[in-house]
Amino acid sequence: MSLVEDLGAQVHGVAEELPLGPVTVAVERLRVGLELLQWVRQESVHDVGVVHLANATEQLEQATLALRSAQDSVAAYLTSIGLAYDAAPTADNSWRQGLAPPVPQQSTSDTDVDATPLGRWWTARVDAATGHEPDDRPVDEQDAAKDPADLLRRAAAPVRAGDRGRLRDELRRVDAPVGLGLSAVSPPVARHLATDLLGHEPTAADLPALTRQLAQPVRQLLPGVPEHVLPTLLARVCRMPPPQPEPPPENPQDGNARQAPPPTHPTDPAVTGAVLVGVLLHRLGRDPDSLRDAERRDA
Amino acid sequence: MASVAELKAAIDAAIQQVSEGQAALRAASEKLAEAQQSLAAALEGSGHESVAAAHAALSQAAMDLEECLIATLAAVDQAQTYVATL
Repeated sequence: MSLVEDLGAQVHGVAEELPLGPVTVAVERLRVGLELLQWVRQESVHDVGVVHLANATEQLEQATLALRSAQDSVAAYLTSIGLAYDAAPTADNSWRQGLAPPVPQQSTSDTDVDATPLGRWWTARVDAATGHEPDDRPVDEQDAAKDPADLLRRAAAPVRAGDRGRLRDELRRVDAPVGLGLSAVSPPVARHLATDLLGHEPTAADLPALTRQLAQPVRQLLPGVPEHVLPTLLARVCRMPPPQPEPPPENPQDGNARQAPPPTHPTDPAVTGAVLVGVLLHRLGRDPDSLRDAERRDA
Repeated sequence: MASVAELKAAIDAAIQQVSEGQAALRAASEKLAEAQQSLAAALEGSGHESVAAAHAALSQAAMDLEECLIATLAAVDQAQTYVATL
């Protein structure tokens, strides 16, 4: 290997090791936290840190752009010194890190989450999202998924079968934090699967095609989820900003603007993300355990 | 209307997610610092504009990560303060 090739390999290695994976994990976790705090703010009319966390999420998205820009600059440099082959981008594998269990933290009374009060809140919304009447029967927690990655795989089976009842059962018997964690793990996996479905990384131009292929099965399984939730998720899959809501129309009766829609319930993007991943796996003819296999390969 | 217990549990769940995000942020910052050092060592003396752009982008990313972490700490602090008043 020549000196230039050796230098190219070193520089290329640095660009490939940039921490896009941990940043993707952090973005998704902060988004879930933000959705929860937005719901709290709606219920309590207190800020509870929403503005700070929204700023943090925005800052992190800028960090992601800066990291990608650094990779592009390194690629341009390698090309300029005649190592164009090294400049080709490698596949984005950051989705695998999202499926890995979170970094264990020392358990204290401050970090332990008592999920009990959220149980009814979670199950009631799952019932509504999946088009069922509220069911007050005790939840059978036996053999429930223990982490979001496990739940993501389990939910894929009823999605493949188009079985709304089984989907609801699988979702409602987990602890709320596990279910809400779907919001964090689903988007990167959905992007990875959409990349395989399309044969290239999804961009804005692919949004209409993905919507055509995926929207109907998702909505059939989740008839109670508001219309705007899936387009927002698909926009993220294509790395686009979420679609802007239409301005509320004037009410001709009294001339007053109609009330703006309430903020998204945190359960809705969680369950929609899981169903989206299930539909993508089905379209690709893949077994849900293929996600687990990918995790094992990385272990 | 949500109960106090539900609000508290939702805030606790949010803080847990943010804490996991903070752990990932810290890991990202460490890796980024290593990458900056490695790149600086490998390309020391280069005046190529793409190299300068790469260094600038990495510095910007490091700053963004730091500011993000500070904002999450402020968010958690505010959320915990609110929980204490419930």
